[in-house]
Formats: sequence, structure tokens, C-alpha cells
Amino acid sequence: MKQRITIDPITRLEGHGKIEIFLDEAGNVANTYFQIPELRGFERFCVGRPVEEMPVLTNRICGVCPEAHHMAAAKAGDAVYHVDPPSAAKKLRELLYSAFYVTDHTTHFYALGGPDIIMGADAPPAERNILGVIHKVGLEIGSKVIQARKYGHAVVEMIGGRKVHPCTSIPGGLTTGITEEQRRDIESMGRWAVEFAQFSLKLFDDLVLKNQAYIDLILGETYTHRTYYIGMVDDNNHVNFYDGNISVVAPDGERIGKYAPHEYTDWIAEHVEPWTYLKFPYLKKVGWKGFVDGKASGVYCATPLSRLNAADGMATPCAQEEYERFYATLVYEEGERYISAGPTKVVHHRLATHWARLIELLYAAERWVELATDPEITSDNVHTVPTGVPTEGVGCVEAPRGTLTHHYWTDERGVLTRVNLIVGTTNNYAPISMSINKAAQHLIHDGTIITEGLLNRVEMAFRTYDPCFGCATHSLPGQMPLEVTIRDAAGEPVKVLRQCC
Amino acid sequence: MNESFSTTDRCGVLVVGLGNPLLGDDGVGWRVAEQVQRDLESVVEIDCLAVGGLRLMERLVGYEHAILVDAMTTRRQPPGTVCSFSIDDLPAPVAGHLSSVHDTSLQTALRLGRALGLPLPDDIWVVGVEAERTRDFAEELTPPVAAAVPYATRMVIERLRQLIQEEQQL
Repeated sequence: MKQRITIDPITRLEGHGKIEIFLDEAGNVANTYFQIPELRGFERFCVGRPVEEMPVLTNRICGVCPEAHHMAAAKAGDAVYHVDPPSAAKKLRELLYSAFYVTDHTTHFYALGGPDIIMGADAPPAERNILGVIHKVGLEIGSKVIQARKYGHAVVEMIGGRKVHPCTSIPGGLTTGITEEQRRDIESMGRWAVEFAQFSLKLFDDLVLKNQAYIDLILGETYTHRTYYIGMVDDNNHVNFYDGNISVVAPDGERIGKYAPHEYTDWIAEHVEPWTYLKFPYLKKVGWKGFVDGKASGVYCATPLSRLNAADGMATPCAQEEYERFYATLVYEEGERYISAGPTKVVHHRLATHWARLIELLYAAERWVELATDPEITSDNVHTVPTGVPTEGVGCVEAPRGTLTHHYWTDERGVLTRVNLIVGTTNNYAPISMSINKAAQHLIHDGTIITEGLLNRVEMAFRTYDPCFGCATHSLPGQMPLEVTIRDAAGEPVKVLRQCC
Repeated sequence: MNESFSTTDRCGVLVVGLGNPLLGDDGVGWRVAEQVQRDLESVVEIDCLAVGGLRLMERLVGYEHAILVDAMTTRRQPPGTVCSFSIDDLPAPVAGHLSSVHDTSLQTALRLGRALGLPLPDDIWVVGVEAERTRDFAEELTPPVAAAVPYATRMVIERLRQLIQEEQQL
């Protein structure tokens, strides 16, 4: 008897991803499908609008990372107008972006994906959230999280003009700079953020790295994939969120190249599957070989783990120390876990993404302080008036959940004629699908009874990617309970399991 | 329509229109909030946001009461249906599975805030409008949802009036 297991949000019928697990006659996983509903018509919506609108328009695509869309759109606008913003403007944008990263990564670690490993995969859903974390670790953790978010929001508001949807980046720079008084406040908050990031890494050490069960979970094959990795790097091949080229590293650690944002079409192509509207990006130079690991397969990943793998290090001192400790802990020179043919070390364990995210949190906080103490940061020279004829441009930043690319075409007036976006989660669509499949294959055997812990583990497989399902819609009831339906060969449900209803 | 509230009627209420105004009916919360603002002029504090969970909870800090206006996608009632209820009446999972994978549910965020001693409203009222189309980029509401805006607006204003009367009786 064939069975179908569906993990499906029942109250948001169109609004979220859906996982279907098909079992064969023996009760083993035959296949899995991960479907992400796509928001439709954005290109059509943009065409005919002035390109200057895009930084404030695109930051409303998604309520999760408006700052990332704001920055990518601003950079694409710079490129369309062939204008290089003043140095102070670029630094201010990066400062805003660093503060945003602290907020976003903090939220993910303490409230979203992190509880999976802080509380454990078998913890009931009622505990696998931030409330469970503060119950386990202490109330002061919750206060620190709220404080980190408050400081991040404050910096975004000071530089971006608004708390939620920044509006100050325009082609050629920014509409306004910051005062010395604001700078002092930003520096003070940044120093607190550095301490908070270090505290978070210590917490990860104590709760996760000193627990052999968690180490085994991280290093186990269930959550391991050997794919390519991409991530933005600076001239020294250090991780950079705001500017640089995209480094591409093979599963064996070989860097096969770096591309500038405007060269993305030479590197990235999209594969179409009949069961989903969303396309699967892959490395054009390697080719699409299906949902498989290995150097011959063009599947790539773009996450915090990917960014560390694609780089040679971190640009700030404390984050660099953590980066070295990360690879020293997880990489073996011999053995099946790591075989490097190139200079770049590679970690393939997807659950290590949580650790990588904390290292990025520390980098973002350190960079926040570096930029806040840069003598140029209070300069009034924050805008270069564009004088060129607008044509076409690409803007690229690292969104917390992956490389974000905006590509605009305009007429000579700067009115958009075409738009193409590759958003963070889209990059990871193939690896997320593969991780879900692998988790299901490892955890469902011979008709194993579906338990909550098992489903949690399947969810963990995709939550580590911090995926975005176009969740800008916040319509009520605003929850995501899961329904698991097991169907027989005739499609009749034989068992229905629900969680969190 | 200008309601007869005066500035002395301020009662620590925040009205929040929720949703994404670029995604068709998902923007109905904004439309209602904007209409309330026009009707009441500047008497009550009103905001329009595309956030949920923690971010929304943080915005509610410091108010005695809050009214949230949002789109609903239950698919169990016709588009344009308007409902009004306390946040306590919403299904409240403790969010092992999340309203989005990027945020906690609002209920979880509120529990966190209260555990931390943040001054959050005791009373959060919700006005929801059943949506028809929320996945296509568009600035227009569908006709049944657009037709529901005046009724939802009156519902918000009625709730505000009720809160003010209750406060005056204290």
C-alpha cells in the first residue's frame, strides 16, 4: 500500500510551503516534494515605475528582510544610473545593514531555528520556541534578545529614516547622513551588540557543543549534504554582506571562481520542475544533474554556512577567531567528513548553519562598531547626483538567508521596462528539497509510526536554511499548524495527525 | 464622517492596520486604518505595518489597549466578511510551528513580552476581513473586500468609543 504524508499548513491554504512525503509499499520514503507558493506578478507590478521607487517598493515585497531588498534595490539603482555613491554613503548603508543583521540573526537563533537544537528535536512544540529557551536558560536571555532587537531597530531608524521599511537609500547614495550625537549612540549600542554576540556563542558552546548528543546530530549524515556554496566576499576573500564579488566553492573546497554581480547570468541558471512554479537555480558552469550531491551536480547553497565555506575568513578579529575554531572543530583533514582539494575548508553539516549564523552575528556586531568609529561616518557628503543616462543595472547583497540579486532594465528616463530578482531562499530551493528528502529517508523506515519528534526533525531540515516563503502576508489566523495525512494507494486518508491546532 | 471624539478622549489606544499593501487584499488592514484616521482626524494614534510576531509585540509596548485590523484567510466564510474578536479568542499555538518560519506567533511574542515585564496592552482587539486574493502583486482590493472597508471602519470606531466610555466610567 502506498502512503502519502502531507505536512501542510491548514489555516493558510495558499500562504506557506507544503511538504509531501510519499511512501512505498514497504513503508519507506519513495520521494518528497517541497512546494513553495510563489508571490505572483512582481515584475508586471514594477514595470512602468521610476527606478528610484524600487528601494522603497521592493522593501515591501517581504516583511522579513526589507533592509536587504532596500539595499539590493539601491545598489541596482546606482548601477542603472552608472553612479558611484560617496564613500561615507556606502559606509552608512553598510552600518545600517550590519545592525539589521544583528537583529535578524539574533531572532533566528533565539526564537526560530535555534530552539530546535537548544531545546532538542524531541522537545514538544510548546517548548521549542523562545519561551522554552528562556525557561531553560533564564529570563535574562529574553531581555537581551529584546534589547538586541531594539538597538538594531534604532540604528535602522537613524540611518534609514524609518523603523521598519528604510527609505533613505537612493541612486547615488543616501538622502541624509548622521550627526555626531547619533554616531555616539550607534557606537555605544554596537559595543553592547559585540558583547551580546560573544555571549551567544558562549551559550552555544555550553548548551550545544558540550552535549555529545547534539554534536552527533550535527555531524550525522541525516543533515549533511555535499554541494557547492556561494557567498559574497571582499578583496581579501573575507565574508562581506554589503559589497564584493560572489565566491563559488566546490564540495571539495576548490574555489571554481568569483563573479561580479552583473555577471550572475553567466553563473546561475534555473531548472524547471513540473510540480512547482518556483524554479531551481543551479550553477550553469556545472550543469543540472538532478537533486543530487557532489561536484558533478550544479546544486548550490547560499546560507550563513555557505558564506563561511565560500570565504577564506572573516574581516573582523573576534569573528575570525570563531571562524577558525568552527573549522578546527568540524573539519577533519582525513576521513569521510572532509576531503579538501583546494585552499578553502568546507563544512557540509547543515545543522552547523546555526553556529555559522552566530559567527556572522559577531562579525556584524564588530563591523557595526568599526563603521560607527570610522572618521568619515558623519560626513555630509552622502550623495553623488547621477548624471548618466539610465540603462541597466544589477545590485547584489547577502540577505541573511542567501545571496539577493536585483536586476533592472530602464528606458532613458529611468522608467523600468523589466525586472528580475533572485531572492535568498530561491537559491536554496534545491538543497532544502534534498535535505527534507534525506531527513525523511533517515527517519522513516518500514512504516515507522509518525511521531512528533520525527516530524520535528523533518522541519529542522528546512528551518536551518531560514527560508522565506513570501511571508509578507500577515493575514490571520497567522499560525502554521501542521497536518499530516497518510493516504493509501487510492488516495484515501488512512490517518490524520495534527500538531499545534 | 467626523466622529465626536476630542483630544481629551485619548485613552492610550493604538490602532494598527496590518498586512502588505502591495499584495491585493492583504492590504485591507491598512485601508481600514487609514479610513479610521481620516474619520477621527488625529484623535487616536494609528499605524500601518507589515510585521507580525515579535516586531508587532514591540510596537504595542506602552499602550493600554490595541486594535489590530488585518486580512483573514480562513476560506470558511465569503470574502469581505468582517469579524471582531479578542486576541485571546484566536487559536493560540505556542508556536513550535510558526506563523512564519521567520517569526513567532503574536501570542507567543506577547507571552514573552509579559514574562519580561514589558508594559503591553491588557486588551487587544482584532478586526479581521476575509480576503480573496493575497498572492498577486496589486494595490487594489477585490470588490467584496473593498466593499467591507466602511463596515470594518465602523467596527473599529465603535470599539474605540466603547473603550473611551469604559475609561470615563472609571
